[in-house]
Amino acid sequence: MNLLKPWALLLALALISLMLPFAAAAQQEELSEEEEEAAWLAQVELGEKYYNVNCRLCHGQKGDGKGHVSVIQYAEKNGRVLKTYPRDFTSGLYRFRSTATGCLPDDVDLKNIIKGGIVTSFMPPQEGISEEDLAAVAEYIKTYSERFEEEDLCDVIVASRPDYVASPKSIDRGKVVYNNMKCWECHGYEGTGDGPKAADIKDDWGNKLLPFNFITGALKRGSTPENIYMTFTAGLDGTGMPSYEDSLDEQSRWDLVSYTLKLMGLTKPEEEKH
Amino acid sequence: MHSRFYLSLLLVASVVVIVFMWLATDRELSTEYENYQAEYKDYLVKNAKDEDARKRAARIETGIRQVYIPALKKADRCTSCHIGVENPMMAGVGQPFTTHSGNYLKNHPVAKFGCTICHYGQGRATNKKEAHGGERGVSHWDYPVIPGKYVQSACGRCHDYKMLADEGMETIVLGEKLFREKGCLGCHKVNGTGGDLGKALDGIGSAALHYFSMGHVKGDLTAYNWIKQHFDDPRAIVPTSEMKVTVSEEEAVALTTYIFSMRADEVPSKYKLVKNLPVMDRDGASLFQMYCGGCHGDGQTSIYDEVFGRTIPAITGSGFVNKIDDTTLRIFIEEGRPGTQMTAWKSNAAGLKKEEIDKIIGHTTKNRSGELQQPFNFREFTSDVGKGKALYTQRCAFCHGDDGKGGGRKLGINLKNETVQKMADPEFLAMTVRDGRKDTPMPGFGPDGEGLSEQDIADVVGYVKTFGRK
Repeated sequence: MNLLKPWALLLALALISLMLPFAAAAQQEELSEEEEEAAWLAQVELGEKYYNVNCRLCHGQKGDGKGHVSVIQYAEKNGRVLKTYPRDFTSGLYRFRSTATGCLPDDVDLKNIIKGGIVTSFMPPQEGISEEDLAAVAEYIKTYSERFEEEDLCDVIVASRPDYVASPKSIDRGKVVYNNMKCWECHGYEGTGDGPKAADIKDDWGNKLLPFNFITGALKRGSTPENIYMTFTAGLDGTGMPSYEDSLDEQSRWDLVSYTLKLMGLTKPEEEKH
Repeated sequence: MHSRFYLSLLLVASVVVIVFMWLATDRELSTEYENYQAEYKDYLVKNAKDEDARKRAARIETGIRQVYIPALKKADRCTSCHIGVENPMMAGVGQPFTTHSGNYLKNHPVAKFGCTICHYGQGRATNKKEAHGGERGVSHWDYPVIPGKYVQSACGRCHDYKMLADEGMETIVLGEKLFREKGCLGCHKVNGTGGDLGKALDGIGSAALHYFSMGHVKGDLTAYNWIKQHFDDPRAIVPTSEMKVTVSEEEAVALTTYIFSMRADEVPSKYKLVKNLPVMDRDGASLFQMYCGGCHGDGQTSIYDEVFGRTIPAITGSGFVNKIDDTTLRIFIEEGRPGTQMTAWKSNAAGLKKEEIDKIIGHTTKNRSGELQQPFNFREFTSDVGKGKALYTQRCAFCHGDDGKGGGRKLGINLKNETVQKMADPEFLAMTVRDGRKDTPMPGFGPDGEGLSEQDIADVVGYVKTFGRK
């Protein structure tokens, strides 16, 4: 009988700990809808304050990307001139998502871009931003598009890099994918962004876009294999770059990542020799 | 048995030595030009129109032919092989016998001009490899024969461009035009005038081979290939080059042709024929193109340039010229922007005369509408540098950097240099901060723009002006 006592104690403890979340939830439920609304409004207001100082210059008072800085022109070493249009938040279209094409971005996606910046587009990183401000700005930016109220959130795509990425065999397979999927139509046979269709690309706002030049450029969202994989999987909504989630299996997408890394000169030479 | 083996070995060795000696003698005695001359003679005899001509042809003597021209310091033996160059009968026969193309020899007879004054190469050499040079094995000659596509460069040494245009010398005429219009002088000095970002180009056409670093040149290691390939892709030849040029194949050939007309060795004046002295009186628009256009283009757009690693601002738009008065603009042009690629254009630096700068100012400000923008009255404010620093860090440092230097993946221009710090009128700076600069990414921060008060702006300008003290 004595033996049972500790077990009983443990059982009781386990039951109590199981109940805790419910208790917490119950407590949250106690927050009335009005209070929740007020908290959200306060957060948005905080975000607006931050936005007006740090973001409005480019993205504009209306969030339509028509701030005072306007279009930024960038001449590459080869003479190609790229135009950068600050993101128009009113459409709810975002390029750098970890969600399927057509979906809204995850909060983490927004926060990553706000905090990390986009160096090649002159979007400055906000290194010193507090977590509170970061969440508030992300929340404020979402208020520019009704999509965030109307649509449900999609699942986040997880990129788990296989070992073979950047291996010579994977690079070779990726080259075949690059040719078969006609990536060269825009990005050029050598990846220099000057394919036969490169001149005809426009974004959803009707602005001319130039395809990425793998040879000279660092990717806007960051040049890690995971980011490249995400571009192939989620697509860059609003641009000419589609999602290949349905047309390529996962391995082909990772092989294409390998070949892209090779074009960008980011694979180690000794890995290629084998 | 043994003695017989060694005897036959000796016999074979002797034969081999004799054969080699005979071959060596033959090689020394029978020369390229003698063979060509014999062939030429046969051709003339065979194709003679009448008996007289046949006899004349039969009397042609074999030997080195040389044109010696003391005035040009030339002794050209080219006609030893190119023996039919003045003979109309040899048209279309093929090298080395063929008649010279065009009617150039009519006014430039071989006896008076020789060959190397136009074609370069080693006039004294008596075989093709050494005379032409440039190929592997003789790539150490400084002046190998100039490839046909660049040969018009020689015309530019003695004739004016009006005449060359009239005579249809399209390549060099295009080259000279492009040299002006692409703004090469914005970075390169010629005759003491031009920017200082690139090398001075005086005498570049006759620069010795060691002047060119051949590490990345494809094909024959000649100055011609170096210059042409450098026009095709500057950074393929000089990896650290900051040269901004994108030209078509035709333009690259034309510019290369023009470059090789800029030689240090002058042709004696009696060999020159300048019919129409070039008009040096250029208007503001063409001066702007020559000296400013290479970087600023037409001055209407602001572009961040990857080669320079900084923004090249728009300078002819109303956003700039309506704020700036001619005195401040003159300071910017004359003093340049130390710490950036912008050259100081004053006469004792880049060599522009006062009148030329006047004309450039006139062209730059041609879009100025009516009166200058509303003044700021900067002197009525007392700047609080501490507040200015806080505002600068919050609103300006994104683009201009904490140190005010701009550039390096930052959009803003350099504020930390003598021109801005010591010479620029704070009034102008305050107006720029208040109203922004149209046609560039610089936004207006004043009450009509980002909502800073005039006092705020005076504080920021006050802080910016402290950069010079560090």
